[in-house]
Order: sequence, then structure tokens, then C-alpha cells
Amino acid sequence: MAILEILEFPDPRLRTVAEPVVEVTDATRSLIDDMLETMYAAPGIGLAATQVDVHQRLLVMDLSEDQDAPQVYINPEVEILDPELGEYDEGCLSVPGYYETVNRPRRVRVAALGRDGEAFTEELDGLAAICLQHEIDHLDGKLFVDYLTPLKRTRIRKKLEKTQRRRA
Amino acid sequence: MARNTRAVAARVLGQVLDGRSLNQALPAGLDAVGPQDRALLQQLCYGSLRLAPRLQGILDQLLDKPLRERDHDVLGLLLCGLYQLADTRIPPHAAVDETVAATRALKKHWAKGLCNAVLRRFQREREQLEANLSEAQRCAHPDWLFTHLQRDWPAQALDIIAANNQQAPMTLRINAAHGTREDYLARLDAADMPARPGELSPQAVYLAQARAVGELPGFAAGDASVQDEAAQMAALLLQVQAGERVLDACAAPGGKTCHILELQPALAELVAMDTDAGRLAMVEENLERLGVSARCVAGDASHPPAEITAQAFDRILVDAPCSGSGVIRRHPDIKLLRRAQDIDALARQQGAILDGLWPLLRRGGQLLYATCSVLRAENDGVVSAFIARQGDVRLLRPAAAWGETTECGRQLLPRTDGPDGLYYALLEKE
Repeated sequence: MAILEILEFPDPRLRTVAEPVVEVTDATRSLIDDMLETMYAAPGIGLAATQVDVHQRLLVMDLSEDQDAPQVYINPEVEILDPELGEYDEGCLSVPGYYETVNRPRRVRVAALGRDGEAFTEELDGLAAICLQHEIDHLDGKLFVDYLTPLKRTRIRKKLEKTQRRRA
Repeated sequence: MARNTRAVAARVLGQVLDGRSLNQALPAGLDAVGPQDRALLQQLCYGSLRLAPRLQGILDQLLDKPLRERDHDVLGLLLCGLYQLADTRIPPHAAVDETVAATRALKKHWAKGLCNAVLRRFQREREQLEANLSEAQRCAHPDWLFTHLQRDWPAQALDIIAANNQQAPMTLRINAAHGTREDYLARLDAADMPARPGELSPQAVYLAQARAVGELPGFAAGDASVQDEAAQMAALLLQVQAGERVLDACAAPGGKTCHILELQPALAELVAMDTDAGRLAMVEENLERLGVSARCVAGDASHPPAEITAQAFDRILVDAPCSGSGVIRRHPDIKLLRRAQDIDALARQQGAILDGLWPLLRRGGQLLYATCSVLRAENDGVVSAFIARQGDVRLLRPAAAWGETTECGRQLLPRTDGPDGLYYALLEKE
């Protein structure tokens, strides 16, 4: 297993729209393991393949405090069950240090493939629903900052660019 | 997505430091974390507050200057970080990393170094830092309360303090009108919820583990309610008879109101009054769930509204607003929110309530004065002053084998895995 590099906003690669996974192979599973390790180290509760510069429709999540409940979604398709929006202060491993309120539907159903390519559907609500939608946005080249006002987004971008320059 | 449970805890704690109660601040926090993190968030908030006076004593040694008021969230985060290191099984590296990372979530990037330094110094110098604490701080109680407890309960103060620092058990009141306690214990057993009967109240059941009320057998149908065992003694002491008119003068949220009706449904009338119309709605919800009814009236017990003064009452229950010093384990925010000077103001208010309600009681009727305080000033102090002011009060001494006998009444002290600390005095009008 290895910790992968997480791309940071405004890296243009985060805007790539991911391609569906054609076949779940050992290579896919190895990527999943690396993504989980990367997510746990961050620390995060969700990570999309896009964020580690792999442009396949695949994401991992683990909402547990003990980091012992990893979930894998390959080629996830989401259906909104309850159009009512809920607020949450989202943060993103690709936008480190910024948390902003985003509104999203509170209840969704997701159909996806699991780690061994098995198809499943499940209903999610609360933070799990929010996190899943946040990660699927990544697969579509979207970031949570896209939901903010242009002014806020620009300010975050400039500050992050400055930190990235300083680090380079 | 990045995790931020500690940042949410810090915000909740910051609001308590601003003067809001945990009951007001916590619900928004619980909404902001996932279901998996709710238990952790509660643990972080309750635990940090339970130890707050001790942790503040440590912070005083570690901070060069106090934090500004607008940085109460950072102060909350520091308390939360110290709590995790001092009193949880969370691995220290995870506690430090997550707590330091939360400074970003709070948008207090400047506090990252501070947070890191404070937590690491605590890890290195814990022994010395704790040795420098005052006795009150070591007991995790504010100075004034520590002094009051030592003065009012010299022999029991340390037990009270120990109970205050524990998590309270989840206690149920079985609806006597729906079935026996034995039957309900069997239902709990069948639902794999270990429980034991209480020793004071024949309706009390202690759950071995806290549960969401929705999981309790027959909760929606009103078969059981959540209520501390000491609080159940109110309706039992009042011994309401069929056909009587009863006033519950400070009724919200309605636990004692409902208990009275479960024990004696055939009342002429039960009036449930509270100053807070919003909290009165909770009484109505509880009544509805239990399938009983009462007349709910918004009004101030020290100046009862005309609509309830027309006809005298046979029984009056006064569960007076108080410091809550007997229920600190359930409301640890009391350690931060209450001040010494509050006690005098509360005692005046409690006296005014007794003065306001006494004319509503018929001759030969009984008034039960109750507080969830263990402080003499709010209990015997208020009652003895009232008796001295009012000529026609006779103190009844209910034959009870529980609690401590005091000058005017009976005091239950908070006990680990037992009841809360409540005071009762039963007064008859001559």
C-alpha cells in the first residue's frame, strides 16, 4: 500500500471527468487500498479517484471514527430520494483548510459496484449522503467551491496558490 | 471530504463559553456530523464540560494570556483536546492530530501552533501541571460551588463531587397505568436491553446502557418515559387522590405532570403551568404521547394568572427553577454557566414563587416544594424563610426511608449509578 499525492485546487486535473471502470481487477483493488490509506492519513472521510489523479469512476468513504468501516463505490449512480436540502460545512482534502456551507439533498439512493465487482444499491442519509455526493462531484470534475460565490472561490484559490508557491 | 467532528465540538463548547446552555448549543452540532460521529460528539462535549474547571486550571498555566472572547471556539477546542488526552481512550496521536487539524475547520489558522504546543506540553508536563491545581480544580468544580458543597455537606461533599463527575445513568419511569414494572423489565430483557429496577420509586428502571428513546419497547405508546428516579419521588410524595384539583406550577417539560396522571387519572383537574410557552409545548407533546390530558396554562408562578386563581387547589407541586446543582452530571455546562451570585437571585425567585402560589392552596391542602439543587440556600433556606413569613404553614415530614433528613425536608444526593440530587419539602396549609 502507498500514500498517494492528493491534487489541490486549482489544479486543472481536478476538472477531468472520469471514465467508467470497465472491469474490476486486482489493479483496481490495489488502487482502492492505496486510496483508503491516503484518505485515512489525511485524515478524511471520503476520497474520489480524481483527487489522486486517476480518472476512473471510483470513490472510497469511511465515516467511522475508528476508521474500520471502509466503503467502496465503483461506477456510482445516484438518485435523489428527498429533494429537501440540508446544510453542511463541507471541507475537502483537495481544498485544504477551508470549510464552507453547502446545501445538498439529504437522502439519496446509490447503485454501484463493490470492491469485488458485485453490484449493490443502498440508501444513504445525513453525512453519508452528503459525502457521497461530494465525492461523485469530483468524478464529474466538480468541487465544493463551485457552489460558493465567485468572490469566495477566488479568495480561496488565491490563498491556496500562495501556499502552494511557498511550498514549491 | 475532510473530517471535522472536533471542530463541531469546539463550536458547541465555544457557544457554552459564550453563555448558552449545552441543550441549546448541541442540537445544531449533532445535525452537523454524521450519525456515526454523534456519539463521539456528545462524548467530546459532555466530557470536556465535566472536566472543564480542571482543564481550565491547566490552560491557565499553559497560556501566556487569556484568549479573546471571539476565540471561544479555540478555547473550546483546547478544552476538547485536553479532555481527549486526560480522560479518554482515544490514542494520543489521533487526539492531537485531529484537534490541531480542526483549527483549519474553524478558520483559526493562527491557532494551529498554539493548539499543538498546548497539547504537547500537557503530554510532557502533565504531572507537574496537575500538581499545581487547587483542590477545587482537581475535583473539576468551580471554586464557589466547591466551597458551598463543603459547607452544606461536609461529610458528603466528596461523594457528591464524585457523582457529579460521572456520566448519569439512563433511568425510565414505567407507566403505572399501562402495566407493571416486572412486565416492562421482561420486555426490555426480550429486546436485549439489560436493566434493573430502582430502589426508591416503584416505577423506576435503570438501563445498563443509554438508548435512543425510539428503541425502547412501547415508548411511542407511552408505556415508559425517561425520568430520573429522584424526580419520580415528586408524584409519589404528593399522593394525589381521585377528584382533587392539582396544580403543577413549573411543569415543563412535563415529566412530573405525566407521572401524577399515570398514578391518578381520575382527577377533577390538573393544571400544568409554565412561564415559557415554548417549553409548555413539550408538556403537551408528553401528555399526548401518554394519552392523558391536563389544562396547559402559560403563566408566572410568582404572579399566577387570573384564569387559575378562581378556585383553590388541593395539591400544588412547585418544581422551582434552581441552580441545577443536583443534576450537574446530566448538565455539566452548569459548571461553567452558574455563578455564585446566581444562588441569591434564585433563592429570591423561589421565595416569590412560594408567596405567589400559597393563596391558591385550600386550607388543609398540601404544597410540595422541589428543586434539583443540593444547596441549602435554595432548599431549607427558602422554605424556612417562607414559613417564618407566612403564619399558616405546617411542615409535614413524610415517613420516607430515603435521602437525608434536613431541617425542613428531605434531600436526595446524586449517586453514581443512582438518583439525581433533588430536594423536597411538603407543606400543609393550616
